Amino acid sequence: MATPEQQRIPPAGIEGSELKGPFPVGEYAEALRTRLRELARVQVFGEVSNLGIRAKAVYFELRDDRGALPCSMWRDDYDKVGVELENGAQVVLAGGCDYYPGSATSSPSFSFRATGVKLAGEGELLAQIERLRRRLHGEGLFEPQKALPRPALPRAIGVVTGEGGKARDDVLAGLHRRGWAGRLVWGFAPVQDRHAAPKVSRAIQDLAAVADVDVIVVARGGGSVMDLMAFSDETLCRTVALLPVPVIASVGHHTDRTLIDDVAAVSCSTPTHAAESAVRVDVNQARESVLASARRLDACGRRALVSRARHLAALSRAPDQHIARQRTWLHQKTRELRASSNRQIAVRTERTDRHRLVIDRKAEAAKHEPEQMLKRGYALVEDPTGELVTSAETARKLHDLTIRFHDARVRARIDDQ
Amino acid sequence: MTDDLQPTSSPPSYEAAAERLEEIIKRLDSGSAGLRETLDLVKEGRTLVDYCATELEAVGKGLDELRLDDLIARLESNGSQPEPGPS
Repeated sequence: MATPEQQRIPPAGIEGSELKGPFPVGEYAEALRTRLRELARVQVFGEVSNLGIRAKAVYFELRDDRGALPCSMWRDDYDKVGVELENGAQVVLAGGCDYYPGSATSSPSFSFRATGVKLAGEGELLAQIERLRRRLHGEGLFEPQKALPRPALPRAIGVVTGEGGKARDDVLAGLHRRGWAGRLVWGFAPVQDRHAAPKVSRAIQDLAAVADVDVIVVARGGGSVMDLMAFSDETLCRTVALLPVPVIASVGHHTDRTLIDDVAAVSCSTPTHAAESAVRVDVNQARESVLASARRLDACGRRALVSRARHLAALSRAPDQHIARQRTWLHQKTRELRASSNRQIAVRTERTDRHRLVIDRKAEAAKHEPEQMLKRGYALVEDPTGELVTSAETARKLHDLTIRFHDARVRARIDDQ
Repeated sequence: MTDDLQPTSSPPSYEAAAERLEEIIKRLDSGSAGLRETLDLVKEGRTLVDYCATELEAVGKGLDELRLDDLIARLESNGSQPEPGPS
């Protein structure tokens, strides 16, 4: 790169050229920026692409089928507008051409410097809806409907829908599935054109005021954001929010979210589902359940009385039973006593017999005792040591003997040699 | 007795009646209610069964379809109050 000294001394121009210059490029870039900024500020529209949101600025390209512009927007301006850009969004930009001349170290760039932006087409509608949603939510209008008591088994239902639409059949199918066949009031209204919102609003008010319904279903099939716009109408939504009758909304497909979905008591994805939400009780099942409850109550009442009657009857029989039990007990004891006496007598008799036998045996034995024998005249012959002499031969050998009588002993000598 | 199921006033809605009926049957099935309480609960239960049966009958006789604009036209031609609804 040339030194500042070299830059200050302009080089000779191209030989033979009639153009002015040469100028220092920085000077020319500055002049170009000034000229571009002098161009008229305008509005341009197109589709956003290559979006990049940075801390200080937002960069993107705006293009259509004929061309494109590199665009930028200071972050402060972007945040102030309150629009959220995304790739593919159709937008209108307000601004003018700008040029960044760059420097020795940074690259130059051209851009359409936007100071204002708004969403176009569906994007704009969605942004409007979003702004209104925030406002209604801020006013607390999402809550009143949800606080209303909603009968599980309404006797009368009001339905606001298009007369020729499929939603009507879907509502009927949902009610049929619940087995519900009560009073159904149709509030037919256009559900798409510019008359839709006031007509739907009027139908809802009339159903609440005139038809004496317990719940109102607002049903409409799917459609574009524009088609469903009526159901994000501010007046309609405020009417629903403050209605004393609960409203069940089923507008569009499950991906669509209109404002009536937010302010209603319940939001459903399909009209069939909305009908089922309006009647939360399966009537056929409930009928069987109530019948079963009636039978159960009868059985409980009967059982309570019968069981207590049986108990009373049992109590009334108690004295007789008590006497009978006592009599049986007494008989039993008498039998036991008799048996016990017999056993005692037998035992004692046996014991006496045994005793007698013992005595007899003792008496018999006593007869043979030596002392008794001595008294009866027998005598015992003993040797000097006191041993009995039981043979004549022994007596002859000993010579000296002792003869024992019952009262004393006497010495004796054997002469029989 | 603190465990007694206290009788309630007339139910404000079908679901309240059905819920109370379930409570009563659960209490009776427990077998812990005395004779007086049992008889009172059976009596209350029968009243609730009648109420529920009436409500179910009201939405089971056949679909009664009306058009709101016919209803309003009839009202305007009569210049009187609307026919009272069944509820």
